Amino acid sequence: MILLFDFAILIFVLICAVAAITVKDLLSSVIILAAYSFLLCLLWAGMGAVDVAFTEASVGAGIGTILLIVAVSKTTRRSKD
Amino acid sequence: MFDFIVGKYNYWIHIILMMIGFYAMMSKRNLIKKIIGMNIFQTAIIIFFISIAAKRGATLPILEHAHDGGEHAIEAISYINPLPHVLMLTAIVVMVATLGVALAVVILVYRKYDTLEEAEILKKIK
Amino acid sequence: MRILSLIIVILTAAVLIYGTLDMPDCGNPDTPASQHVSPRYVTRTMEETATPNIVTSVLGDYRGYDTLGETTVIFSAGMACILILRKRRRQ
Repeated sequence: MILLFDFAILIFVLICAVAAITVKDLLSSVIILAAYSFLLCLLWAGMGAVDVAFTEASVGAGIGTILLIVAVSKTTRRSKD
Repeated sequence: MFDFIVGKYNYWIHIILMMIGFYAMMSKRNLIKKIIGMNIFQTAIIIFFISIAAKRGATLPILEHAHDGGEHAIEAISYINPLPHVLMLTAIVVMVATLGVALAVVILVYRKYDTLEEAEILKKIK
Repeated sequence: MRILSLIIVILTAAVLIYGTLDMPDCGNPDTPASQHVSPRYVTRTMEETATPNIVTSVLGDYRGYDTLGETTVIFSAGMACILILRKRRRQ
């Protein structure tokens, strides 16, 4: 674990989390959530949890984003908050 | 004091992340925003467990020189704790399964009420 | 409603941060979490399961029933999705 690297990625993760729940458009919120998942994957690879990073990159960021995009495209993109 | 902050700051950031998800689950009125908040909450718990497993000066939990016939003694202190990794591997897959079921329910709600906002759904139920 | 949930969030965060003050530092090799079960997994995985990757050996051999339960969860989630989203004839 490199201290500065870790801290910078944690700050990016926080920014992505706040942006994902404040953006009004649901599709861009989902894409920001995918970026959040990949930043977490980078953080776990830095902590030494390689298998968890692989699983998050394939399952959490891949399949989860696809499921959310399918749900948004079958419903609506607009959100009031 | 500086060592204290350096040792603990990532726990605090994980707690802030968890609270962002909790706030989104409680106060956002859109159903997909609530599901995104649930996702953030679960990943915050997973990152907390992974940071418990980290050890300073240790390598990945994959044995080096494993096929040399056991000449090298294996010491537990030079490998990262593998047990939280296994448990969180299970938790990630269960997280995606939960996400799928929740999104299926949201699509069903949209087919029936034609909206995703909580207030309008409550108005149409009455 | 928004003020109330903000108050609840801040109170929960305060309690959790108070809880972290007694935790061992991040990266400390002597934590209780890495003292009890995992040294046995690390030292004996080669002679018991012949797998160099410790995470795989714990996931597939030592805790195989856990993985079986996880597969059951995914199966029931898939079944639930199919049952919820299928087109109904009547209506």
